[in-house]
Amino acid sequence: MTIVQQLVAGLGIPNFKVLIPEIIVLITAILVFLAELFIKSRALISALTVVGLALAAFSMLTISEGAITLYGLYIVDSFSLAFKFFLVIFTILAIINLQSYVESKKTYYGEYYYLILFTLLGLMIIVSSPNLISFYIGLELSSITSYILVGLWRKDYRSKEGAFKYLIIGGAGTAIISYAIALIYGKTGSFDFARIFHVIQDNSDIGVTAGLVLLLVGLGLKASAVPFHFWTPDAYESAPTPITGFMASVSKVAIFAAILRIMVEAFPFSNQIWSYGWAILAAASMILGNFVALKQKNVKRMLAYSSIAHSGYILAALASPNGMGFTALIFYSIVYLFMALGGFIFLSAFEKNGNWTNDFEDFKGLAKKHPIMALYMLIYMFSMIGIPPTVGFMGKFGVFMALISSNVWWLAVILVITSVVSAGYYLKVVAYMYMYEPVNSNKFNLTTMEKFTVGFLAVLVLVVGIYPTIFWEISNILTSVLIMNAGVR
Amino acid sequence: MTPQFVYADFPFISISILIPLIAAIIVFVSNEKLAKPISILSSIVVFAISSYMLLTYDPSGYKIQFYEKYTWIPQFGISYEVGVDALSLTMFWLTALSFVVAFVWSTNIEKRIKEYFIAFLVLEAACIGVFVAWDLVAFYVFWEVMLIPMFLIIGVWGYSERIYAATKFFIYTFFGSLFLLIGVIGMYIYNYTQNNILSTSYFDLLKLSLPHNLEIIFFLLLALGFAIKVPMWPFHTWLPAAHVQAPTAGSVILAAVLLKMGTYGFVRFSLPWFPEASKYFMPVMFALGVIAIIYTAMMAIAQTHIKRLIAYSSVSHMGFVTIGTFALNVEGVNGAIITMISHGLTSAALFLAAGFIYERLHSYEMKDLGGMAKFVPVFATLFMISAMASAGLPGLSGFVGEFLALLGTFKVSILTAVLAGLSLVVGAAYTLWLYKRTMFEEELLTPEKKEEYSKLKDLNTAELWSFLPLVVFMFVIGLYPNWWINLISNTTKFVLHKIVGG
Repeated sequence: MTIVQQLVAGLGIPNFKVLIPEIIVLITAILVFLAELFIKSRALISALTVVGLALAAFSMLTISEGAITLYGLYIVDSFSLAFKFFLVIFTILAIINLQSYVESKKTYYGEYYYLILFTLLGLMIIVSSPNLISFYIGLELSSITSYILVGLWRKDYRSKEGAFKYLIIGGAGTAIISYAIALIYGKTGSFDFARIFHVIQDNSDIGVTAGLVLLLVGLGLKASAVPFHFWTPDAYESAPTPITGFMASVSKVAIFAAILRIMVEAFPFSNQIWSYGWAILAAASMILGNFVALKQKNVKRMLAYSSIAHSGYILAALASPNGMGFTALIFYSIVYLFMALGGFIFLSAFEKNGNWTNDFEDFKGLAKKHPIMALYMLIYMFSMIGIPPTVGFMGKFGVFMALISSNVWWLAVILVITSVVSAGYYLKVVAYMYMYEPVNSNKFNLTTMEKFTVGFLAVLVLVVGIYPTIFWEISNILTSVLIMNAGVR
Repeated sequence: MTPQFVYADFPFISISILIPLIAAIIVFVSNEKLAKPISILSSIVVFAISSYMLLTYDPSGYKIQFYEKYTWIPQFGISYEVGVDALSLTMFWLTALSFVVAFVWSTNIEKRIKEYFIAFLVLEAACIGVFVAWDLVAFYVFWEVMLIPMFLIIGVWGYSERIYAATKFFIYTFFGSLFLLIGVIGMYIYNYTQNNILSTSYFDLLKLSLPHNLEIIFFLLLALGFAIKVPMWPFHTWLPAAHVQAPTAGSVILAAVLLKMGTYGFVRFSLPWFPEASKYFMPVMFALGVIAIIYTAMMAIAQTHIKRLIAYSSVSHMGFVTIGTFALNVEGVNGAIITMISHGLTSAALFLAAGFIYERLHSYEMKDLGGMAKFVPVFATLFMISAMASAGLPGLSGFVGEFLALLGTFKVSILTAVLAGLSLVVGAAYTLWLYKRTMFEEELLTPEKKEEYSKLKDLNTAELWSFLPLVVFMFVIGLYPNWWINLISNTTKFVLHKIVGG
């Protein structure tokens, strides 16, 4: 027995040991917080963070069976474990590229590391909460730390603006969610998903519906679905690029997982309102995200809008409230991690150079100077359009299947048309990289970590795209776990 | 008519898809100088395999030969399923031949040599995949993968308006193919709900009996995807832009292979899957086909840019394929398939000719050209043969297909056949016009031009060897059409078996 386990046994909380990954992340966060005060070397802090996260990821592999702990406030099942595993791994991939980036920007804040760890902890809580209260706590933890992460460049006007917008709108979002929780609690008398499920199944009324709608609005806001997306472009653009990558991939996917769990476990399928609601939000996100992205001159901002559009594609799967839709959502959100993080880390790698402003102009002739990096970016871009053999195609394929099997043709057609629109701006990146002559001939300094991260994710995009079987199987299993959990406990 | 399957003793087809991909990787890691020899060698190997398959193919009865099937994504019932019938095989063979021609021709690429050959090798693998895949998802994957290298080929190695043309090409075809995807998934889901079969295999979807309205909807969804690729009027506007801007080898592949994918789709999927809808839409397809033939032939006459002229002539020839296909009888479909092969050869040769002229005189505009024939006799001869084959001179390949297509159409609609037949005259006119304005009229040359022309070099070895096989096969098809018709006749019967019975 480890010390932790002994302590835990002393506290008398059943099944406490399934919380070890979270505990490791928490301890690492506190250690990093203290270390930041005394240790000057940021590289060391970065290494400490990575080691802590690696330990957390490793400890997840040792958990062989799921359990409910903290007296029903926390659930560890294969759904939450799988998502947490991906979250931790992708946080590592974002962090290893952070130091070189912030150094090139001449900022030496050590706060990044423990703030990211706290955000991650919050996200881990929200994917494994079977209860609206623990969900709310996780959401607040991750949101507040995210506001600070965006605004860390306190001397930069845009960073402040982005953070402020994010804070105001995000704060409104959490407030809306708390109203929703209150309404649902008022009707059902419980925060627990399973209890809510049963009460609603028996009789549903306007109170519950109002709560559900507010919940949809709040969650949609966190997932940057249109029309609640206004914080996204500014926050994404003004945050340090690796942080943007972290928010666009890890935070977002955790929100999708939480949305899926809440919808499936707390609200019966027979309650069709939520699938209509998500369908409308998805359609709006796809249309607006893609059309506005078309107009952008800055690739980072363009990717922020593309991230809104991708929220649309992913949420569209919820318009088909059955196993197929859930599988599609899980698959797409996991593979979206690869593309989103890869794309932003690509930008952060080049942004270290002083003249690079992320404008399309900067991409001119990149394929000549950095042929391999350009090839990786090409893979990401085609994956985001949804061209096989990349994961982007497989993700959209799953959503298509789900939509058509539920006869939601109108959404499938919107998905198609907006995908074609999206080709307009993704192709522009490829065209600028490959089809123009370089404007200046200086090479960029890229660290090994950046090359590794971008390359590794690009290879994943390609390999999983060609052989998605394993990931489909994972998604299938997670779906069946969710559906089995619905209303049971 | 249930197809039989002859499993491959040796995975020839998979190997032919893999060879270009492996070659692409080798080119990527090796020296720039080796790029061209490796590409030529690999394409010749693939061509040899396809020729071997063509010669050993057993045309008696309808059998899917060299068949391979492996599970790919079992959750959705998707497998990697390849094999050939005569239609697939001839298209595969044409693809392999076109790529040999394209690689041998590409001597004077100076810009990004490695990337150029890698793009073409990936394109070759994807094009072969489209024609041999029997699983619809695999088919769609190949169909879409092809867009990536083609986008780069037009966009990187093209002429001044290349980026616009490449984007237009990409967005048009992507738009169409997504509707194709919706159609296929719709059928797949329908098959699942009706028969509880989870499969994207061509043959499982073939067994479906669709209600009339669904058949119409699915036909339209698929037809949109194919029509843009063919391209049929009014979806053809991407083609002249793409052709004009693409480098010569890109134009060759575009004309010889990519355009065939659309008509291949009609013959392969629309006819056997949607027999009732095919009959229902026959007049529409005839109308679109005739408009394509006449309108684009007129457009071709009006062009002064020689590549644009050839591009319009391609649309016009594809019109013959469309009406032949939708004549829905054996002659018509046979004619359509032969025209597809023949057009692959002739359009490739004509684009090579345009490329040759541009190499020598640095212009595609007719006003800058003319009077070359005497100075480049070998080229003039081969160009003449290609032009004649394209115009449909008996004894050459173009005649056989168009004659059969017209014959088939004549049985169904005399008016369509007459209109299409009349436009053959227009076709001959613009082809001869093209030839005359580029090769003859030596007397109009100024003395300086004559001086300049006397220094012109005739075809060099690489150019000659890329031209020759095309011309040889124009004669082979023109003089021995029976062998080819015999080869494809059972496939044609299979394609039509739900329509004419048997």
